[in-house]
Amino acid sequence: MQLICVSRGTLAGGKELAARLCENLGYRCLCREELTEAATNEGIQVGRLEAAMLKPGEFTSRLSLEREHYLAFTTDFLCRRALEGDVVYHGRQGHLVLPGVGNVLRVRVVADREYRIRAAVHQLGVSRDKARRYVEDVDEDRRRWARAMYGVLWEDVAHYDLVLNLERMSPVNAAAAVTSTAQLPDFQMTPASRKALQDLGLASRARVLLARDDQTSCARFKTTCTDGVVTVTYLPEDARLASQIPRVVGELEGMRDLRATMASTNVVWIQETFDPAAQVFGEVVEVAAKWDAAVALLRFAPEEEAETTEGPVEAEVVASDHECNGGVEDDMDESAASDNEGLEQTVDALARLGRTGGGRSVRGGPERLLEALHHCSPCTMVVVGDVFLSKGHAARTRMARDLRALLADHVKAPVVLAEELRTQYLFGKSDALRLVGLLALTCVLYALVMTHQVAVLKFLTGHDWKGRLLSSVSVFLFVPVVAHLYGTVARTFLKLLRME
Amino acid sequence: MESFLIYHFIHVNFWTAAQVVLLGFVGGILSGFIGSGGAFFMTPGMMNLGVPGVVAVASNIAHKFGKAMMGSKKHGELGNVDRRLGGFLVFTSFVGIQIAVWITGFLFKGGGGGSHGEGGGGAAADLYISLVFICILSLVAVSMLRDALRTRPENGDTGPSRRIAACLSRLHLPPYIYFPVADVRISLWILMLVGLATGYLAGTIGVGGFIGVPAMIYVFGLPTAVAAGTELYLAMFMGAFGAINYAWLGYVDIRLTMLMYLGSLFGVYIGAYGTKVVKEVVIRLVTGAIILLCVVSRAVAVPIYLRQLGLIAMNPGWDVYFNQASKLMLFVAGLSGAGLILFNVIRAYREKGRVRTTLIEAAAP
Repeated sequence: MQLICVSRGTLAGGKELAARLCENLGYRCLCREELTEAATNEGIQVGRLEAAMLKPGEFTSRLSLEREHYLAFTTDFLCRRALEGDVVYHGRQGHLVLPGVGNVLRVRVVADREYRIRAAVHQLGVSRDKARRYVEDVDEDRRRWARAMYGVLWEDVAHYDLVLNLERMSPVNAAAAVTSTAQLPDFQMTPASRKALQDLGLASRARVLLARDDQTSCARFKTTCTDGVVTVTYLPEDARLASQIPRVVGELEGMRDLRATMASTNVVWIQETFDPAAQVFGEVVEVAAKWDAAVALLRFAPEEEAETTEGPVEAEVVASDHECNGGVEDDMDESAASDNEGLEQTVDALARLGRTGGGRSVRGGPERLLEALHHCSPCTMVVVGDVFLSKGHAARTRMARDLRALLADHVKAPVVLAEELRTQYLFGKSDALRLVGLLALTCVLYALVMTHQVAVLKFLTGHDWKGRLLSSVSVFLFVPVVAHLYGTVARTFLKLLRME
Repeated sequence: MESFLIYHFIHVNFWTAAQVVLLGFVGGILSGFIGSGGAFFMTPGMMNLGVPGVVAVASNIAHKFGKAMMGSKKHGELGNVDRRLGGFLVFTSFVGIQIAVWITGFLFKGGGGGSHGEGGGGAAADLYISLVFICILSLVAVSMLRDALRTRPENGDTGPSRRIAACLSRLHLPPYIYFPVADVRISLWILMLVGLATGYLAGTIGVGGFIGVPAMIYVFGLPTAVAAGTELYLAMFMGAFGAINYAWLGYVDIRLTMLMYLGSLFGVYIGAYGTKVVKEVVIRLVTGAIILLCVVSRAVAVPIYLRQLGLIAMNPGWDVYFNQASKLMLFVAGLSGAGLILFNVIRAYREKGRVRTTLIEAAAP
C-alpha cells in the first residue's frame, strides 16, 4: 500500500497531475475538498477554523480545540485510507498530517508566477491585475495555513521528495516521473511504516473519540500511541475527567493498552538506551514533577554511516539501507531488541509515577529526529541524554553538543544535555553555594549604598560634564550588575522552593 | 544623616525603604501577571511617598533596564524574541525617550512649587506626568475591561481582536518589512510611529510596555508571547537609554532602584506563576480593575499640583488629605490585586500537591 501526497500551488497544475497519476497507477484519488466535506460532516467548523488560522489573532480556546479535533480527524481519515489501499492525495500539505510514516512520497508541484497568472486570467476570466492578486493571496493563505497548523514553511523544499515545475514539463511526463519514483523501494510500505501508520491512526482515533464525547469534548487531551499502547495526557484542571477516559477510549479497536497521564506540558527525553534505574531517570522525573509535565521518550538510534565507512560508496549503501526501512521504527531494530533498549520498561516506570507521555523510536539522522520532535510538540524542554554510544568519549561529547545546537535552532523550547539538568533545573550543592555567595555579595552592595547615601547621591548629581558622564556610566554598569546578582539569588531561592 | 540629602532626593529611612520594597513586590507581581508594566503602580506609589515625579520615573526606568534584561534573556531562550523587529523599533523609541526626557526635564527645572512630599521639585512636571498617566492608562483599563466583559463563556477565552491590524493592512504604505520570527509584514512608517509612541511613554511615565505590547498584538498582529518577549527586548534598550539620559541630568536615585529590585524580582516570578492558574478572562478583569484604581488614585493627587501652580485656589492644609487618599487608594488597589493573585497561586500550589499525591497513591500497586 502506498500513499502519494501532491502539494499544489495555486493553479500550478497539481490537480491534473494527481488525476493522471491515479490513471497510471490505478490508485484511489483523494482531494482536500473530500477531506473537508468529511470533517464538516463530523461537525468540525472547517470554514471558521480556516478563517481563524489565516488571522491567528482571532483564535479562541474553542477554536484551538476545534483545530486539535480537525488535525486528529484528518490524520485518522488519511491513515484509514492509506491502510485500506493505495492512495494519491492532493491538497494542502497532506504529508505533514502523517509525520514519521516513512513510505509517503511527498511531491510538490510548482510553476512560474507568470504561468500561474496567465492560467488564472484564462480560467477565472479576470483582468491580469486581479489574477496576480488572486494568486498572491491564495499562496499567502496556504503559507499561513502550513505555518499555523504544522509550524513549517510551505515553500521549504526539505519537506518534499520530488519538486516538479509544470511550466517546463507536461502533466503526462510529470506523471510518468512520479510513477517511476513511486516504484522505488524507498517508497514501498514496510512492516515498520505500517506499524507507524497504525499507531498514528490509533492515537488520532482516540483523540477524535474524546472530541466527540459530550463530557470530554471541552478538555485538552494529547494522545500518542506506541506499539498499540495509547497514552492520553490531560491537564491538571481536567483531572475530574480522568475517569471518563477509559469509558470513551477503552473500546478502541486495535488498542493493546490505555494509559492516562496528568500533565500541563511535555518534557521530551532523547536517548539511545533507557534505564529506569539510572540517576538521570530520577532527575528527569523530578523536573517533570516540578513542572507538572509528562515525559515523552524518544529513542534515537543514529545512522551508522559515520562509523562504518571511510569512503562515499559505503556511506551511500548504509544510507540507502536505512531509507528503505522508512527511517522510523527500523524493522531489524524492532525485532532484535525485545524491549527497544529499555524504552518499554522506562515507559512503564513513568506510568507508575503518573508521568508517562509515551515513547517512540527514531532511526536515522538528525532530520528524522527533528521530524519526530515536531510530532511530540508542544514541549517545555528537550533533554538530550546518552546518544552516539558507539563513538569514543570525545566524539560522543562533541556530537551530542552539535545535536543540541541543531535542536536548539529548530525547537522553541530550551534544549539541555542530561548532565546539565541537575545544575540548571534542580537544586543542588552548587546552587546552595551560589545562593550563599551571591546573597553575601548582594548584601555587601546594598549595605555599602545604604550606609553611604549622601556620598552616593552627591556622586549621582555631578555638576560638571565629567561628573555627569561618570554618573551615567556608573548607573549603566551598576544597575544590570545588581539586577543580575539579586535576580539570580531570587531565582535560585524559588528553585529551592520548587516555584520556578 | 542629613534629613534633606540632595535637593530632589528624599531621605530613606527604614519605613520608607520597607514601603519602596513593598511597592516593588506588588509591582513585580502585577508585572509578572500582566506580562508588562508594573511601573503604573510603582511610579505613582513613589510619588505618594514624596519622591518628585521625574525622580520616580528616572529610578523606575533604571529599574526597568535591569529587569527587562533578565526577562528578555529568558524569553530569548524560549524563542519569543523577534530581534529584527526589536532592532527596527529601538531607534525611533530612542527619539521618543529623548523627547520625553527633554519635556519632563524642562518642566522640572521650571519648578512651580514643592512636591506634595518631602523632596523638592516641579509641580508642573508632576502634573504633566500625572495627566499623561491618567489619559493613557484610562484608555488601557477601559479597553481591557470591555474586552473581558464581552467574552462569552460559550466561545471560551477570546483572543485579541485583529480589526486594527486588518484595517491597517488594507492601507498601502511601502516600504514593507518582513519579520520571520513573528511571521508578519509591517510598514516601516507604522513601525516608526509605534516605536516613537512607546519610547515617549516609557520616558514619560515608565510604562512603554502598555503601548508596545498591545500595539504589537493589535496593530502588527503578533502572537502574544512574541509581543511580550520582543517588548522586553526593546524595553532593555529603552531602559538603558532612558537610564543614561536621566542619570546625565542627575535624576536617577539608585537607592530606590535597588530597593524596588528587592521586591520586584521575587514578585515577578509569583505573578508569572499566577497566569498559569488563573483564567485569561479573570486576568483581564483583575488587571483592568487595578489599573483603573491606579488612575483614580493619581487623579486624586492632581488638585495638589494645580494648587501649587496657582491654577486653583485651595487650602494648602488639604494637600496632606489628598495625598493620603491617593496613597491609600493606590495601596488598596495594588495590595488587593496582588493578594488575589497570591491567593490563587497558593491555592493552586496546594491543589497540585494534593492531586499528585492522589495520583501516585492510585498508581501504587
